[in-house]
Amino acid sequence: MPDIEAIKSEAKRLLSEGMVEVMLAFKAGETPLHPQPAFFRTPDDVDELVYSSLNQNNLATYLTRLPKESKVSMVVRGCENRSVNALVVEKQKSRDNLYLIGVPCEGILDWRKIVAKAGEAVKSVNESEQEVMVESRSGYYLVERKELLHDSCMRCSHPNPVSADILIGEPLAESDSNLAREAVEEFEALSVKERYAWFRKEAERCIRCYACREACPMCYCTECFVDHIEPRWTESGATPAGMQAWHIVRAFHQTGRCTSCGACERACPMDIKMTYLTEKLNHDMKEKYNFETGLDAQTKPPFATVTLDDKNRFMV
Amino acid sequence: MNFILEKQALPDLLQTWRANFDVYLPQNLERFTHFMPLAAEGVTVINEPHNTRIPPKALFLPMTETLVKFTRFGGYENAKHEIEPRIVFALRPCDAQAVQLLDTSFLQVKYSDPFWLERREKTITVALGCHEPCDNGFCTTVGYGPFNKADLDAMLTDLGDFYLVETFSEAAETCFNGFANASETICVQALEVQQRAHDQMPVAFETENLKEKLEQNFSSNYWDKVSLSCLGCGVCTFLCPTCFCFDIVDETQRRERVRNWDSCMFRTYSLEASGHNPRPSRVERTRQRLSHKYVYWLDQVNQIGCTGCGRCVRYCPVGLDIRSMLRQAQSLPFEVSHAS
Repeated sequence: MPDIEAIKSEAKRLLSEGMVEVMLAFKAGETPLHPQPAFFRTPDDVDELVYSSLNQNNLATYLTRLPKESKVSMVVRGCENRSVNALVVEKQKSRDNLYLIGVPCEGILDWRKIVAKAGEAVKSVNESEQEVMVESRSGYYLVERKELLHDSCMRCSHPNPVSADILIGEPLAESDSNLAREAVEEFEALSVKERYAWFRKEAERCIRCYACREACPMCYCTECFVDHIEPRWTESGATPAGMQAWHIVRAFHQTGRCTSCGACERACPMDIKMTYLTEKLNHDMKEKYNFETGLDAQTKPPFATVTLDDKNRFMV
Repeated sequence: MNFILEKQALPDLLQTWRANFDVYLPQNLERFTHFMPLAAEGVTVINEPHNTRIPPKALFLPMTETLVKFTRFGGYENAKHEIEPRIVFALRPCDAQAVQLLDTSFLQVKYSDPFWLERREKTITVALGCHEPCDNGFCTTVGYGPFNKADLDAMLTDLGDFYLVETFSEAAETCFNGFANASETICVQALEVQQRAHDQMPVAFETENLKEKLEQNFSSNYWDKVSLSCLGCGVCTFLCPTCFCFDIVDETQRRERVRNWDSCMFRTYSLEASGHNPRPSRVERTRQRLSHKYVYWLDQVNQIGCTGCGRCVRYCPVGLDIRSMLRQAQSLPFEVSHAS
C-alpha cells in the first residue's frame, strides 16, 4: 500500500500553493465497503482523504464534469492514468491543467466478493499485500487478496501509472498482457450460436439504468445515442432489442478508447458482464494496430486516425 | 388466524399453490436473488438477510409494458395482459409497504390504472418478516419496521424449525388451510422475535422537522454538497421500491405505445420539447429525489415515501448514502411553521 500521508501532504501542497483548484480522490464512506469519490478544495479538506483497494470508481469520469479550464489534481492508479491520457488525446482536458499523483495499484477489491465471503454487516476491511482481513457480523475472515480482486483487476497488465507527475510508492511488476487474452478466449472458443446466447443472457438482464455509462470516463457525450429522440436509434424499453442495442453499441463506441478498468461492471446493479466485449476489442486493437489505450497522451486511437495513404481510399 | 408451518413442509406447500396460482418467490439469478415464478421442481427457499435486487414493484409495474396497440388506418386497441391469480411469497415488509404507498398513486378515486389494479386484485402477498436486521436498511427510522404488517395477506415469522404464519385476509387463510393453529405460547414467542428485530434496527437519522428543513432550504448549497459525486445513473431510483416514474413512448416500428420505467435522475426526464430543462444538473435532480420521498409524499398522503429498504445505499456505484444525506439535512436552519 502506498504511504497515505505522502499522498496527503502532496495534495495539501498543491492546494495551498494554488497549483490546482480541486483535488479528486476518495473519502471514507458511510460503510467500510463504500469509500466515496470526493472533491477537495482546501488543504484542510484533504484530512478526509483515504486510499484503499475498496475505492471502486475510475475518478477520471469526473474530469469531463468539471469546467474544462479548471486546474485539477487526481490520485491516479494505472487504469485511471490511462483514461486521463485518453481524454487528453480526445481534447477533453489539457494535460497542462492536470497534476497527477500516481499510485501503483494492487487491484480493486470487489465489495460483492467480500460480502459473499464474509456475509452481512461488514465492520472493517484491513488489507496487506497478500491477504485481506474482513470483520463482519458473523466473525473474522482472512482471505487471500486474489480471491477478492475484481475480475478486471485480475487481468490487469499495467498496474502502474504511465505518466504521473509524481509517483508515490514503488512501481509494481507489470504483468503478462496475455492475462486479458484468457478472458476473451473463453468467449471466442464458443460457437456463434453459443456466443449469442451468452451475450443475450448478460445483456437482457439490463434495466437500462446507465450506471455503466455514467461510471465510464470515456462516456462523456452530451447526448448519448439512447437518449436521442429524433430519430430514435434504439427501442426505448427494457426489451431484448433495446437492451441488446445498448450493450453492443456501448461496447463498440469504446473501441480503442477502453482502458479495461472495469468501472462499468463494478457500477452495474445487475452484475452484467461487459468487459468480455471490450477486452476483445482491446485485443483486436493491439493485434491489428499495435495500439493500447492511454499509454501516452498523444497517440490517437486507430479509428480516430485517417491518413492520405489509407488503403481504403473511400475514407479520404 | 395464526398457523404453524414446518419449514420442511414449505416446498410441498408452494407446489400445492401452483395448482391454482402463479407463485413468485426470490430465487437465485446470477449472484443475487430475483422474484421469479416457481417451476415444478427444484425449489430452494432463499433466506438471505437482505432483499432482492429488483424490488417486487416490478411485479405490479413492469419495467416495460405495452399499453396500446395501433392497428392500420389510424385505429388502436388497448393492450391486454394475461394476469393469472398469483401468490408473491417471501417479499419483505418494506417492499410490501412500498406497494401500498404506490396504490395511493395508481389507485386514486378518480383515476385508477387498470393494469396495476388487475395485478393487485389478483395477488396474494405472503411476507417474510426480517428476524435478522439487514445491513443497510432503516425501516424503523421512517416509521415502518421489520415486521410491518401494512398491506399484507399473511406474514411469516421465522422461529427456527418452523414459521408462525399470521393471516390477515380470507384468501390467505385458505392458502394455509389444514395447518395446525399456533398456540398462545408460540404467538408470544413470535412477538418477542418481532420486538427484538425491531429494537435491533438502528435509528439512522431523525425525521422530526425533516420535511420543513428540506422544504425551507430549497435553495441551500446543501444540495450542491450532497450531489457532488452523484454520477446521475438510475440505480437508486430503479431499485427503489417506491419510485414509480415512467415514460410513455410510441414504438412506431412495433406499432405499440409502451410504458417504461423512468428516473428523475436522468437528464432526459425533465428535458422539455423546447430544449429547456428545469432540472438542468444533478443538484436539482438529487433535490427532487430526496424531496419527493421526504417532502412531497408527506404533502400528498401524509406518509414518508421511503420504506427504508436500503437498496439505494447498498447499490449506489459511488457510495452515496441517503442516511448520511438526511443526517446532514438535520443541521439545516428552519423555522417552525404555525399551520392552522
